[in-house]
Order: sequence, then structure tokens, then C-alpha cells
Amino acid sequence: MTRGLLWRLFYRASLGDHAYKFLFEPGPEDEAVALDCETTGLDPRKDDIVAVAAVRIKGNRILTSERFEAFVRPEDSQPGAESIKVHRIRQRDVADALPMRKVLPELLRFIGGRPLVGYYIDFDVRMLDKYAMDLIEVKLPNPQIEVSALYYERKYGDAPPGTVFDLRFDSVLRDLGIPPLAAHDALNDAVMAAMAWLALRDMKARGARIPRERPGRAAPPPTGG
Amino acid sequence: MPSAFDASNPPFDRLTQQEIGELRAALDIGYLRPGEAVLLPGQKAEHLHVIIKGLVEVRDADGTLNAVLGPKDSFDSRALVHGAAGEDFIAAEETLCYLIPRALVLGLISRNPAFAAFFYSEVSAKLDAFARASRTEGMESVLRARVGEASRGPALVIEGSASIATAAERMQEASINAAYVRDAGRIGVVTGMNLAKAVLLRQLPRETPVREVCHFDVIAVDAEDFIFEALLLMTRHDKRRVAVRAGGEFTGFLEDIHILGLVAGNSQLIPGRIDRARSVADLAGPAQDIQRQVERLHRQGVKVEQIAEITSDLNRRLFVRLFDLLAPPGIREHGCLLIMGSEGRGEQTVRTDQDNGLLLDGPVPEAELEAFRRDFSGALAGFGFPSCPGHVMVSNPLWSQPLEGLLRQLRLWVMERTPEAALNLAIFFDAVGVTGRTGLLAEARQALAQMMRGERALIARFASLVESFETPALGVLSTLMERVGVGSDAIDIKKAGIFPIVHGMRAMAMDRGIMETSTAGRIEALVEAGNFTAPFGRELLSALRVFMEYRLRAQLEAVRRGTLEHEALVTPAGLSAADRDILRDALRIVRQFRELLRNRYALAAFG
Repeated sequence: MTRGLLWRLFYRASLGDHAYKFLFEPGPEDEAVALDCETTGLDPRKDDIVAVAAVRIKGNRILTSERFEAFVRPEDSQPGAESIKVHRIRQRDVADALPMRKVLPELLRFIGGRPLVGYYIDFDVRMLDKYAMDLIEVKLPNPQIEVSALYYERKYGDAPPGTVFDLRFDSVLRDLGIPPLAAHDALNDAVMAAMAWLALRDMKARGARIPRERPGRAAPPPTGG
Repeated sequence: MPSAFDASNPPFDRLTQQEIGELRAALDIGYLRPGEAVLLPGQKAEHLHVIIKGLVEVRDADGTLNAVLGPKDSFDSRALVHGAAGEDFIAAEETLCYLIPRALVLGLISRNPAFAAFFYSEVSAKLDAFARASRTEGMESVLRARVGEASRGPALVIEGSASIATAAERMQEASINAAYVRDAGRIGVVTGMNLAKAVLLRQLPRETPVREVCHFDVIAVDAEDFIFEALLLMTRHDKRRVAVRAGGEFTGFLEDIHILGLVAGNSQLIPGRIDRARSVADLAGPAQDIQRQVERLHRQGVKVEQIAEITSDLNRRLFVRLFDLLAPPGIREHGCLLIMGSEGRGEQTVRTDQDNGLLLDGPVPEAELEAFRRDFSGALAGFGFPSCPGHVMVSNPLWSQPLEGLLRQLRLWVMERTPEAALNLAIFFDAVGVTGRTGLLAEARQALAQMMRGERALIARFASLVESFETPALGVLSTLMERVGVGSDAIDIKKAGIFPIVHGMRAMAMDRGIMETSTAGRIEALVEAGNFTAPFGRELLSALRVFMEYRLRAQLEAVRRGTLEHEALVTPAGLSAADRDILRDALRIVRQFRELLRNRYALAAFG
């Protein structure tokens, strides 16, 4: 935490473009932004963002009517056929899209100083940081709210040793009764993360827990925590 | 996510593609904590909520649970359009809802009448608007029917040498308007009109052979042909009737009125068949047709109250004809045939029981009466009228006796103060005399009205029957049951909705000495007498029709599956969200009416 704070101070001091100072101001009370990026791959150093969506959350309301949604045109590399399959973003959509240097300022203004909510939000932020460093010499200083961590705490926080963790997004949604939407759509993913967060935040406030399946009954999940 | 908003969920399926786009763009999503109140009474709604996941309880101001809403249900259309909410909406668990801004909904309502229907304040108008879409059948299905389904036989064949007088007699006997004439290897057709013209205009003698007045250019269709082919022929040749052939033989005629019969059920043909019946066995066919036309009328989009009216009328004709066929002269002269209960109110559609009786002005020979009781009820049972569980039938001596005896019996029931006695009084108060000395019934009903009119304690005891069944909260049971993983929350529409309205109106009519028998007539008279406001009267009648419609649907479904044994139940989970909303509204109106009855007759005392 302290280390994060130091970095925050550092970037604030070294901010290239002071028009972005608002990133360091605390956002409006009781607001957050759920965010999701679709990328050409899982390596922030090599891969690119092809779509980004964000949606504001105010209190217990997800403001989908004021959403941010953009397709991004890679500056140099063309998206590989592989990632097109996953995200169903076709070459043409990408062609209609804007370069990140046009998208990012708008996105940052949309986010402001609000905390960022997401499922493995750290990955999305690291992807964005890559562009932010280029454009305004800063990493996104916003506090991050990790949905999977909250879920872990509500479900496995008191689990006996040896419990198998299942933190897949599908499992999170299923446990919370949230109807799954078409995945690999940045806006859908952002909204689902927002819904999961509101439910988990409230459960935490009420001290409610997510029941675990009895050991031996649940099928072993392919991924562990 | 907004793109995931289900546009096929009524009433949103009424929106155009562009309107759906507008709506999706304007949606927000709200999260509700368990126990969080969404709308409080008196509070103006800023959004229409459509549940994504979770459960929302609908409660009265006094906390009574009225309904539980689940995914795809929306609330609260009334609060949104007609001002403040009348009920509390409280999340029962973690709940997510789409929030549609009020201004957008109002805009869509003003532009899209089909969508607007969902927000009508009158629940039966809402039902009509939503029922219409599913009923596109009508003329289409008629034109594609086969000639054989509509035509009537058997064919009457007269020799060409027979006199026109003989021909007229034989046609009269068979109650038909056209016959075939066989003459020297040819086949011709003679109609009643041909005969009438021959005698009246050409002034031919009655002995003229029929071959002189018939025509031999017979236009024929095959029984397997489509109705539209027959219609084309009829138009081309300017005929109102064509001959029908099957397997090379003439089997009857197809007339324009038969085709009309397919359009609106064959209701208008049934009276003729009833009148033509020469024996009890002849009535079996039309009796079945009465039942079949209920299904057909419903499929063609006829409103339930009209189906009930048509069906009641036909049933009455059937009863009258059966009475004429079976009653010996003594009973015909001295008796009055009664129909009671729903049959008397004219509110029966699918047959559920037979409530009938016989009132006599004096003693008749016991053996004759005995035979009539047995035969009459037996014949109806044979026609498919289930026996009345309470034995309110001619076969029960209690319900077929002289006026004097019945009056004594009524007085006993009035004093008895048991639910059974009250139920008997209720059934009798709905009685209508269908044939014979109907003055007897009028006398008996007047006498009952005299005993009860203005007797607060008696009326209150009578009215308290409405407390026999709770008006259920929609969806509540299912929620509980689903949690333990069994059962469903089927609603008995008759107990939950129809009986409280029908019986409440009956009690109030009795209180005021109103002699109308139909619930609609009673409501009108009660409004006239200032018992409640005209709008509330309309709401109650609306609600009754809604219940009758859903009950009829459930009954027809049960008949189709061959499972109609007791009462057809309605399962809210099997309904569309719009249907659930309509049913919920109707149940709310019943609850209001119960409240009115409770206050007026201090029913709490009978709890």
C-alpha cells in the first residue's frame, strides 16, 4: 500500500501534461467506474487493446446510459486472426476505430479520479498504463477494486486449508445469480463486473457469505486461485 | 449489457426496432439490497423497473404480501403513469433491475398505442390488447377448412314423380330447405323457394310433379374440397347453396350460412339443430357442439363475456328442448324449469357442473315426477354435463318440489346459518326460469329477497362466505417452494378471483333487494343505487372478466390434455410477464373489494 502511495506521489509530481491533474483528485463521493479492455493477447508488453468500455457506478446504480465504449486501432501491428476469433471484433470494426491517442484522453476524462472496478482489473490497467506512459507520462493512479478478491473473501475467506478455489468469472456470476451476457464484449464484461461488485460490496456490508459446495460434490475446477 | 435487455418480453415486444434502440440507450441498472424499499406508497416513480435477477415483494400499506415479482416482471406501471404507487415494493433478496426513465416510457406510450395498452388503467382493456396479438386466426382458417366440416346432411332424395305437396311435407319433416330429385337417371335439386314460387306465383296445383319445378343444373363440390373453392363456385354461379358429394354420392348441401358458422363457431346453427331434435339422442350432437364452439370462439378472439352469453343462450335452448321432450304433460303444465348458479348468471363457458331444478305449483303424480327427475339429469350427464357435487339438480327431490315446499326449505336455510345453507341460498338466488311457469320462480325469489332484504345480520352471515378462500399473493408460494425445490404455485382462479366478486355482488344485491341475476347486471344496479362508484364497478367487472378469461384458457388447455377433472389451475410461472402483471392487477382489485365487504358487513366478526 505504502509503495502504491509513493508511486502515486511520484507520478503526480512527474505528470507530463498537467491537464490530467484531475486523475489525482479524489472522484465524486460514492462513484466508481467499471472497466474492461479487449486485447490481442495477454502480454501487456507485446499486445494491444482493440476495444475498451467503461461504465460509471453511482451509489447502487450502474449508469449504462452514460457508458464509454470505443474500438481502438492499433498504431503499428495488425490484430492477429487469433484474437479476432476470441473477441469477434472484425478487421473492419478495427478499421473504423480510433487510434489510442484519440481514445485515451476521452477515457481518462470519463474515469476521472474514480476507483476502477473490474475482474482482474490489474491487467486492464497495465494495458492502459502502456499507452498512458507514452501519451502523458503517467500510470493510472486510480484505486483499483478487484471483484475476484471480494468474491474470494466472501466465499473462501474462512475456508479450511486444502479447499479448492474457483475464481472463474463464470463461477462468480453463477454464485451471485447474475445472468451471463455474451462474453468478450468489453461493455458486457464491464457491466457484469459492476453488477458483481455491487452485490459483493453489499454482502460484505451485511456480513453475508457465499455458501461453498460441500467438498467432494463439486467438480474440480480447471483453474485454481 | 444494455444490448442484453430482452426486447421479446411483453410489453416490450410491441416496440419498433428503433424504439428498442432508444430504450436500450437510456437504460440504467439498479442494485437493491435485501429489504430495500424501491417505491413507497405516495412516492412518484422515476423509473419503470424490469427485474434482471432477484425477487421483489409487493405489499399493502398494512404490510400484507400481495405478490412476489421475479425476473422479467416489471413494476410499477401504475405508479409511473397514474401517479403515486398504491403498494410498497421491497427487494426480498439481492436484486438487479433495469431502470427505464419515466420520461422515455411516457414518450413511448404517446407514440406507440400497442405498447401503451400495457399501461391502461382498466385491466380488461389491457387484457384485450394483449390477447389480440395472439389471435390472428379467423377468416384465414375458415377458408382452409374442408367443405365436409361445414356442410350438413343427410341428403333427402325425392322421386321426380312425387307431388310438390309431398316434397314440401318431406322437407318439412326433415327440417331442411333443399332436397335432391331423382328423375330418369338425372339428379336435380329442389328448394323451399322453388316450391313456394310454384304455388304462390305460378299457381301450380299441389299435385304437380316435383320434376316440373326443380332444376337439373346442379353445382356440386366434393366434401374434400376447400371452403374457398366452394365459395368461388357460389359466387360465380350466384348460388347460396351448392350440392356436396362424397365418393360419388350426394351427401348434403353446403349453404352460405354454414360457412358463416365456421367463422363465428357454428353457434347460429346449433339452435336449429336443437329445435329439430326429435329425441333425446338427437340432442347429443348439438350438446357437444355447444362445448366445441366455446373453444372455437375463444380461438377466434371472441371476448369471454360474449362466449359466456352465447353459450348460456344455447344451453338454455338445450334445456328447454330436453324439458319438452321428457316432461309429461302434468309437469309441463305445472312446472318451471330452473337453471341456477353460474348457468343462471349466464357466466358459464366450459361446463363444470349442472345446477338445475324444477319448481311445481302443486303436487304431481309421484311416479311421473320420479321418472322425469331420473331421465332429465341422466340425459344431461349423458351430454357431458358433470353432476353437481352439491346435488343441485332436478334429480334431487330437494330441488324439484312444489313452491310451498321450497319456500319452507328457503326459510330453514336462512335460519340455519351454516356455510352449506348459505351456499344453497346463493345458488338459488341466481336462479332463472327457462321454461314453463316462470312466475313460480319469480314468486320464490321475491320471497327470499323479502326474508333477507336489509337484514344486516343475515346478509353479513351470507357475505362472510367470501372469507372462505384467501385471495392469494401472486408468486409467493412458488418462491417458497422453489427454495425447497418442489411444487409450483398454481392458482385456483375460481376461488381466488371469481367467487369473491360474484358472491360479494350477490350479497350486496340481496341486501338491496336487487333481482338481477348476472354479475354485470348486479354491479350496474348497485352503482345506480349508490353502493360504490361507477369507476370501481367497472374495475370489478373488468377484473371478473380477466379471471374468466384466464380460467377459460386453463380449462381449454386441460380439456385439450384430457385432464379437466376438478378445477383448472393457472400457474403464474407459465404466464408471460404481461399476463402476470394483468393478473396481479385483477387480484389487487379483488382485495379492495373484500376490504369494502369487510367494512360494510363487519366480517371480522365471523373470522
